[in-house]
Parts: sequence; C-alpha cells; structure tokens
Amino acid sequence: MGWEEKQVRGYPEFVQTAQHYHGRPIFALFCGDKDAEGKSWCPDCVTAEPVVRKELHNMPDESVFIYCLVGDRAYWKDPNNEFRKNLKLTGVPTLLKYGTPQKLVEEECFKVELVRMLFTED
Amino acid sequence: VQAHKEGSLRKQREMNGHTAVPHSYDYDLIVIGGGSGGLAAAKEAAKYEKKVMVLDFVTPTPLGNSWGLGGTCVNVGCIPKKLMHQAALLGQALQDSRKFGWQFPEEVKHNWMTMTESVQNYIGSLNWGYRVALREKKVTYENAYGEFVGPHTVKATNKRGVEKLYTAERFLIATGERPRYLGIPGDKEYCISSDDLFSLPYCPGKTLVVGASYVALECAGFLAGIGLDVTIMVRSILLRGFDQDIANKIGEYMEEHGINFIREFVPIKVEQIKEGTPGILKVTSKSTKGNEIIEGEYNTVLLAIGRDACTRKIGLDKVGVIINEKTGKIPVNDKEQTNVPYIYAIGDILQDKLELTPVAIQAGRLLVRRLYAGATTKCDYVNVPTTVFTPLEYGACGYSEEAAVEKFGEENIEVYHSHFWPLEWTVPSRDNNKCYAKIICNIQDSERVIGFHVLGPNAGEVTQGFAAAMKCGITKEQLDSTIGIHPVCAEV
Repeated sequence: MGWEEKQVRGYPEFVQTAQHYHGRPIFALFCGDKDAEGKSWCPDCVTAEPVVRKELHNMPDESVFIYCLVGDRAYWKDPNNEFRKNLKLTGVPTLLKYGTPQKLVEEECFKVELVRMLFTED
Repeated sequence: VQAHKEGSLRKQREMNGHTAVPHSYDYDLIVIGGGSGGLAAAKEAAKYEKKVMVLDFVTPTPLGNSWGLGGTCVNVGCIPKKLMHQAALLGQALQDSRKFGWQFPEEVKHNWMTMTESVQNYIGSLNWGYRVALREKKVTYENAYGEFVGPHTVKATNKRGVEKLYTAERFLIATGERPRYLGIPGDKEYCISSDDLFSLPYCPGKTLVVGASYVALECAGFLAGIGLDVTIMVRSILLRGFDQDIANKIGEYMEEHGINFIREFVPIKVEQIKEGTPGILKVTSKSTKGNEIIEGEYNTVLLAIGRDACTRKIGLDKVGVIINEKTGKIPVNDKEQTNVPYIYAIGDILQDKLELTPVAIQAGRLLVRRLYAGATTKCDYVNVPTTVFTPLEYGACGYSEEAAVEKFGEENIEVYHSHFWPLEWTVPSRDNNKCYAKIICNIQDSERVIGFHVLGPNAGEVTQGFAAAMKCGITKEQLDSTIGIHPVCAEV
C-alpha cells in the first residue's frame, strides 16, 4: 500500500489525526509555522524538511507521515504549550515515531543516516 | 571496494579449502556484545578514528522475552532495578508522610502496569539513544549474534538467520552473562528470571524468589515494597562474598518487614496448577539437611540463583581462547588480554573480577586508550565501591570483615562501628537500631581504612565519597578529624 501523508496544524488536530490512524506506524515531523511565502520562522526546520522528505520512501508499508506545524514562534517559546507538555517535545524540528521513545531533535534531523535509521529501525 | 574485498577474501578461503588469515581487515576493532563495557569501548575507539563494529544480539529468554541495545544494566539490570526500588521506597515514603502531616485516603494502591510501562519507556529511550550515538560516531552496529569462525574472523547471524563474515585486526569480547536455571522439571516453562521481570506484562502477584544473591534480595525487596506477598527460598547463606555480618542484618530487616524466608531448602519441581497472567504454580522443595519435602503455591516463581558467562557458544575454541571450563569465565592479564594476543575481554565474563557496570566501562575505555592512544594506565580493580539496593540499602568499599581477617589477621585489624537512627526516620517511628556503619582499619598501616560498610538510606550516595577517600589512602585519624555534616547519616 505504501505510505500516506497528512498535513495538520496545532495540537488538537495532530492528536485527532494520530488517533485516527491508530494501529499503523505513524511518523511525525514537527516544524514551525510557515509564512505567506512558505518559509518557516524556524531555520533548522527549513534545513530538515527536504532531508526528511527524501527518506520517506524508507518508511514501512502502511505508514502515515504526519507533517505538523506547531504554531508561531511565540506559541512555541511558551514553556507550557501543549506540544511541550503532552508530547514532551523539546525543540523544533522534531521527527519522531509516534508511540515509541524514538525521536530525532534539531540538528539530528539534518542527518540522512539518522533519519533513515528512524524510518527503518525495528 | 568493501564488498569486493569481502568477496575476494571469501573466495580465497573457499578455494584454499580452509580459513586463511586475511591481511587487510574489514575493521580495526570488532566488539562482540553491546552492553556497558562493549559500548564504552566502541565509542572510545571511534574517538581515535578507528573503524569499529559492534555486534549485539539478545538470545530470547525461555519465555520469549528480548530487548534492545545496551546490555544487561540498561535493559534488565541496574536501571530498571533502581527504578523499581525507587517505586517501593516511594510507597514507604507515602506511609511516612502521614506522620509529617500529609493527609490522604486510607488505602493507597500500586499499579504494576503503570510502573512497568514508564520504566520500559525510559529504557526504550536509552536503547534509541545508543543507536543514535553509535551512528553519529560512525560505529557500525549490527543486531546479530557474533561468533568466531577462524583467525581474525567472526560470523554475524541476524534474527532472520542471515549470516555475514567480518574480519578485524582486534576483537573485544564483552558478551556478559545470563541468568542460570535450576535444571529441574518446570523451570524453563514456568519460572521467570530477572530477564523477564522488568517487562512482565502482568503483576507477578504472590511471588517465590529462589536465591540469596543481591539480585534475589533486591527483587524480593521491591516486590514486597509495592505490596506483594513475597517469599525467598535460600539454600544456605545470604549474599555470598559480601560481609556476612551485614548480610544477616539485611536479612533480618527484610524478615521484620514482611518478607518470608524459607531457609535451607531447594526447589525440586515446579508444576502449573492453573494457567493465567499470572497463573498458579506449585513448587515442591527439599531440605538441604534431610529428607523433608514442602510444597507451596505461588503466582510467580523468580529464579535468581546466579548468572553464567556467555562464552561457550561464541566459537572461542576456533581461535584458541582459553576459558575456565568450569565457570565459563575468561582469564585475562592486567591489560585485559586473553591468551590470544589480538583478542581482549572485559566485563562480567572476566575471571576473578567484579561484575559491575562502571568496572566494565572503565576497563573498556582504558583498554582502548592503551591500544590506540598510547596510554599506559591500567584498570584499578581495588577499592571499587558497590551498593546493594535492598529495602535497607547497603554500600561497601574494600574488604569485608571476614576477608580482612583472612588477609591481615584478626589482631592486625580494628573495626569501628556504630548504629545510627536517621533523623528522617524518627518522626514516623521507623526502626531506631537498624541502620549501621562500620569501618575496618589496618593497624599496621597507620590504621588505614581498608573496608567501609554502611547500611541505611541512600547508602550508594554515602559510599561514593568514602570510596574516593579510600583511594587516597585515608586513615582513621584523618576520618576522625573530618568534621561531619549535620544532620545527615553520613556524619556517623
């Protein structure tokens, strides 16, 4: 079947989507919001996104890739935002395998080898 | 280039009909075993730009349990043990807290699944962390079972049975140990070991712990601490090799706090009365002193009677590495080298060395620095501090009283000791004569402290500093002249 992508914005939409696909492998990339020209306020996210996208074909069959915009910079900096509180995210970009402790944070997301390992690790 | 080299080497071997010794190797160092020692050594070697491979594979337990990269300590040893010990301590703290004014409803219950899931989640993050660390340091990792097949050559078999051959200039064996079984009917089918306990997907219920090792006592301790009915079956003495005076105090404390002890019996048969998670098991045991037979029913039987080195099925005979046939341990020189010059070994598999994570890590790092960075420092196995995380914790460094008497003679040692009552225990009326500390001094050497033992809360934290002092050769006089911190246990 291959894999499919879902694009969401904000925490409630993310949770709803993740729950909808319960039972399938779910990978999520969290990035800062993009402006009208499609550029994110988070420079590391700009670097990471193409690297991650190039490796998506390595995800197992039936996987769901959730591309999630977390919010604007002010929201993200708030130490009590829902992503920090509930998903324990510490930085953007974060690439994780939902429901497992497996994740890559910030510069780790630039590294092809690590991204590939996350997608293919048993 | 790599594939071509491997391919041509293999062809050469096939053609010659025997395993030829390759002269240009795939790796500088292959580490067999991705535990505390193996990973520390691999990461250190990568620092010196060496080409390193780690082979780690967990043979599933008889009940089918397995785990990720990191070895015993991380997955089924120190880490989950300490976390569950903490869970038990917190239970005790909850009870004490009422006397300090905290008010909450009468009954407080413990949920095994909640605890286990949190612990396993943390372990999972450690497994993942090691994967990332190895990748970032460019250490090649394969989840495959490594065994020697000829000089400088190992075969790695993954869980799908796919075999690959690799060669290296040097090898490091760090395969560790696995729990021993009793060899009685029903042991592998129905009993669990520490390899299964920390990820058990159901509460163990009424548990029989067989053994008197620190593993047995620590596990029995926290199981009782979270409210389970626990019995320990001991063949002879508690904590063999540890100071027996302290071992007995630990046993007494556990007994007074609700753990049943059955002494001088060994199980001879385990049968399943009822299936389930947990089910009901019937254990038949025989006295070591006569013909008395007893029977008991438990939900879970946990075997903690010892651990065996994983050295018998890794092809050591094919490369001529000598092992102690009886124990399976590998004798090494003070540079951790086996009888085969290019093969080294560290960790729990070593003969006559302490089986502790920090020892393996230190030995691994120093070995690698000697091999690749021109260092000369050897691992110092003397005065290594340890702690047993029984309900009443025990920290020790140096000689036990028995060992000191044996080595120096009773007339040449002086033992100073004291009971103490932690201030925190006074208000909730906890035992006032159980905590205990003693130091053993060598009279002939300015009363140098050669043994330190403390029984009480946070024993590990207390012991660490004293271990450093002992390494510097602290004497009784110096200890006396060190003013204590008040009010803490360590001031005694």
